[in-house]
Amino acid sequence: MQLMVNGKAEIVEGDNISVADLLAFKQVESPDMVSVQRNGKIVDRQRYAEQALAEGDEIEFLYFMGGGARR
Amino acid sequence: MKGFATRAVYGDSKGKDPYGALRMPVYDGVAFAHEDSASLAQTFAGRKPAYVYTRLANPTVQDFEQRLQSLSGGLAVLALSSGMAAISNTIMTLAEAGTNIVTTKKLFGNTLSLLTKTFEPWGLSVRYVSMLDLCALDRAIDEGTRAVFLESMSNPQLEVADCAKIAAITAKHGVPLVVDNTLLTPYLFDSKKAGVNIEVLSTTKYISGGATSVGGAIIDNGNFDWRCSPKLAGGAERFGSMAFMATLRQEVFRNFGACLAPHNAYLQSLGLETLSLRVDRSCDNALVLARFLAEHPQVAAVNYPGLPEAGSHAVARQQFGARFGGLLTFDLADEEDCHAFMDSLRIIRRATNLNDNKSLILHPWSTIYAEYRPEERLAAGVRPTMLRLSVGIEDGDDLSEDLERGFNHHA
Repeated sequence: MQLMVNGKAEIVEGDNISVADLLAFKQVESPDMVSVQRNGKIVDRQRYAEQALAEGDEIEFLYFMGGGARR
Repeated sequence: MKGFATRAVYGDSKGKDPYGALRMPVYDGVAFAHEDSASLAQTFAGRKPAYVYTRLANPTVQDFEQRLQSLSGGLAVLALSSGMAAISNTIMTLAEAGTNIVTTKKLFGNTLSLLTKTFEPWGLSVRYVSMLDLCALDRAIDEGTRAVFLESMSNPQLEVADCAKIAAITAKHGVPLVVDNTLLTPYLFDSKKAGVNIEVLSTTKYISGGATSVGGAIIDNGNFDWRCSPKLAGGAERFGSMAFMATLRQEVFRNFGACLAPHNAYLQSLGLETLSLRVDRSCDNALVLARFLAEHPQVAAVNYPGLPEAGSHAVARQQFGARFGGLLTFDLADEEDCHAFMDSLRIIRRATNLNDNKSLILHPWSTIYAEYRPEERLAAGVRPTMLRLSVGIEDGDDLSEDLERGFNHHA
């Protein structure tokens, strides 16, 4: 499945990929500290596991730390 | 790592220093360079987690936050420039003009001043109840209430309210419970276990390792549904359980700029490593001195929650276990006696801090509560005959000898 993640094209193997799967695939260290936008709309955090992604989705990971990586 | 002392020493660092340094270095700089313009823009847009500016985040400060998070068991921690910054940033995140905070007058004098003299003129209503009167607390909370605020052990009254029972009431109303846990720290009081939602700390006190630096912290225990908070409901959809911390970091904390200096974060991380040792020693000394004072003929009254005869003892024992903090108060015959007593001491210092390694004595009536009218001081539980003693980690015998010197010289 091809997605646009933070403005870059990404190929993610597999079917029925959820937002939670994508966070794991992208090895986001602190998923608590990121919010996810799908095609311009914020995804409800309670639904990360059930929210399926579709071919060509534009996904944005938005960190709220205001600068500051989790080491 | 399960034990408090082990976690305090090793922290919860997820990375490795490139030089293998066992202690987090002090990144004592302001700005962080990026490889290209796009990286900086991505970070500003929130797309990339990276450091940009120390007022927002700094590696040494973040290391301290992660250590404190590990020790407290909270969901997230924010370090700030002082304990007062922690309280004010928390209230500004939760409340706004036209809403109210329910609290008590048994508070640190500057906190009371923050509420009455700083926030009330901006339109925040402050309601005072006794935290020992749970029915009154229940009645005081309404749809406009944005938080209930109290101290786990109040300063200098040493009142101990039953936080678990209060948490049951605030949870029923869907209002967050904010507790200043400075006098106990997460080592003596697990606020999350008691149902407290937000813990604030002056890390200047026990945590700094002996009054090395001024600092504060806000701990979100991760046990409040922020969809219940009218001000944070929108953020809850986006950030879920992190809605409070996201709003705090992105708005209030960023805009008010009360950041912890990296060097102070380094000192406070160092302080965390010996926290349990120092707290144990201070509490043990405090209990010995409280007993000494309770038996002294020149002492009119002693207040220390560790004494079985103290009114707060049963709740304190249930909440804190076998140790009761390093602060006690005692009363002499009159105000003049208090000043003469203080001036006779040679080891115990006359100073306004508390939970230092050094024992410190203070006359609250003429110092931290001096800005209030006499009737306001009395309503806050502060008497002209009362002295506050913060017990340090010295040899207990030297401290009791110094107190005896005070009694002998001023009599």
